[in-house]
Amino acid sequence: MADKPAISLARLDKRFRVSEREPGLWPALRALFRREWVEVEAVRELSFDIARGERVGFLGPNGAGKTTTLKMLAGLLHPSGGRAEVLGFEPARRRPEFLRRVALVMGQKRQLSWDLPALDTFELNRVVFDVPRGLYAERLDEMVELLDIGEVVRRPVRTLSLGERMKCELVAALLHGPEVLFLDEPTIGMDVAMQLAIREFIREYHRRHGATLILTSHYMEDVAALCERILVIDEGRLRFDGSIDALVRRIRPLRRVAIRSGAALDDATRTGLGALGQLADAGPSRVALDVAPARVPEVVARLLALPGARDLEVQDAPLEEVMRELFSRRGELDAGPGEEGAR
Amino acid sequence: MSSAGQGFEHGALRRHLALVGAQLRVSTLAALEYRVGFWTEGVVGLAWSLGGLVPLIVALEHRDDVAGWGPWEIVLLTGFFLIISGVFASAVQPAVSESMAKIRTGTLDYLLLRPVDGLVSCLSAAFEPWSLIEVLTGVVLAVVATIQLELTPSAGQLGVLALVLACGLVSLYALGVLILSASFRALELQNLTFLMETLLDFAHWPISVFRGPLKLVFTFVVPFAVMTSYPAQSLSGALGASEVLGAVVTALALAAIARLAWRRALRGYTSASS
Repeated sequence: MADKPAISLARLDKRFRVSEREPGLWPALRALFRREWVEVEAVRELSFDIARGERVGFLGPNGAGKTTTLKMLAGLLHPSGGRAEVLGFEPARRRPEFLRRVALVMGQKRQLSWDLPALDTFELNRVVFDVPRGLYAERLDEMVELLDIGEVVRRPVRTLSLGERMKCELVAALLHGPEVLFLDEPTIGMDVAMQLAIREFIREYHRRHGATLILTSHYMEDVAALCERILVIDEGRLRFDGSIDALVRRIRPLRRVAIRSGAALDDATRTGLGALGQLADAGPSRVALDVAPARVPEVVARLLALPGARDLEVQDAPLEEVMRELFSRRGELDAGPGEEGAR
Repeated sequence: MSSAGQGFEHGALRRHLALVGAQLRVSTLAALEYRVGFWTEGVVGLAWSLGGLVPLIVALEHRDDVAGWGPWEIVLLTGFFLIISGVFASAVQPAVSESMAKIRTGTLDYLLLRPVDGLVSCLSAAFEPWSLIEVLTGVVLAVVATIQLELTPSAGQLGVLALVLACGLVSLYALGVLILSASFRALELQNLTFLMETLLDFAHWPISVFRGPLKLVFTFVVPFAVMTSYPAQSLSGALGASEVLGAVVTALALAAIARLAWRRALRGYTSASS
């Protein structure tokens, strides 16, 4: 019998009631006595399973329902309908034994005490999560070393940079050794070097502890580097479930072949290359073609034959472009699991 | 005791006490970062509370007693008032305000993700140790007044004093929880903490000053007067069994209503921003 999934959602719904009124003084006065409410469907009939130890990227535009879903899975929000199960628990009941096994890290919210060194918040969490002192010291040493924050944890949080603070937030969230980790935009606003450091830390944490991981991020590099599977959600609905490769092939089936030439390309050459595929870029001495995978060897051979050909690249379309295209084609790609994603 | 499924399993009491202790430690450390807090929150708070006694002092200059309470009895009452207002200023008000701020910014999420009762987390979220100066001053005044009045309370009377003081504190916390629960729905209701602070000033006066509906309100609805008058009366044995029972029933009822309101508020929690 297959292992029970770590996370299981069945037709999960979340609706919010929000007040609405026309702009202006009169509608504002009228709203004092009679307010009009509308129901917003943040998450609609969301269903998927995540196996133990899996790393899943949760993608979608702003307001797609990603964070709402994570909050329901962490037990912060009560679902309006459907069922959610995490490690065999119903998250909304917020049983202590459930909360001791999960963690939610939010890039835009902090739990560290502003005026105190992060070590003081770590100690508070040690007590709150009832972590034995020896284990606490072991985990703290491990994470401080991985993140290289030996001195940082001793300084008041208000004096730390955004990246240093986020590193400390991660330690605070992981000291109790969660088996399921929800990461909501953990690298938001950070420079490339800091993004890389956080990403490496998460990858290493997963390698060492085998935690189940769901990540939302606006940085596609985060998702591409950390997640073996992605779930695309838009307007509260699941639009895709599968690997990044499967998504790219589905949305942008053509591969991009690019090369630099030692000499400027004449018009005749360009026209000839254009017949091989879609011309994506044509600078004076550079050319990029989007071609069907079956034609890649033929195109590569033709491009390498160009005078002074160098820097040949064959790649899938960038994930950013794929996502942009996916959301511009709403309704076309619906709810279906990816080619590898029917789980 | 359970909230939204957060049951008190084995060892829960120990863990909750440890949580409160750890939170007090963190709040105290944070307070120590700002020495100016000693003056603004401690000494000024005490001066403010004592300043509220001026009407009573003026009244005693024109008559021998206020509604049957002589000058030293008023000092005794003032002692208990300072104890209650000190607890409010050091523990209840900061925790409720801090939790409300967390609701507004969405960081209440982190409190609710702890494997402990969310209400205990909220009610220990902040603490202002400087305001304990009021509590200490209150204790000193109560002891001095007891000596001056030549009261020699029996063990039973001291037991009743502990009981009615506990009822007063439970009622105080319950009112704080009701305000906190209401603010889940409408953040504008945060101003209710100021209303509560203002209402607390009525506890300067002996309960016998109030008549009719006001007496009922300050005894059963917002039992601030009971928090100070009953402890003072218990020391002299002037507190009847029916009044003690009334204080217990009021405190339990307020606590139960507050707990229900809290559970309801949690169900509707929308977790501000992402």
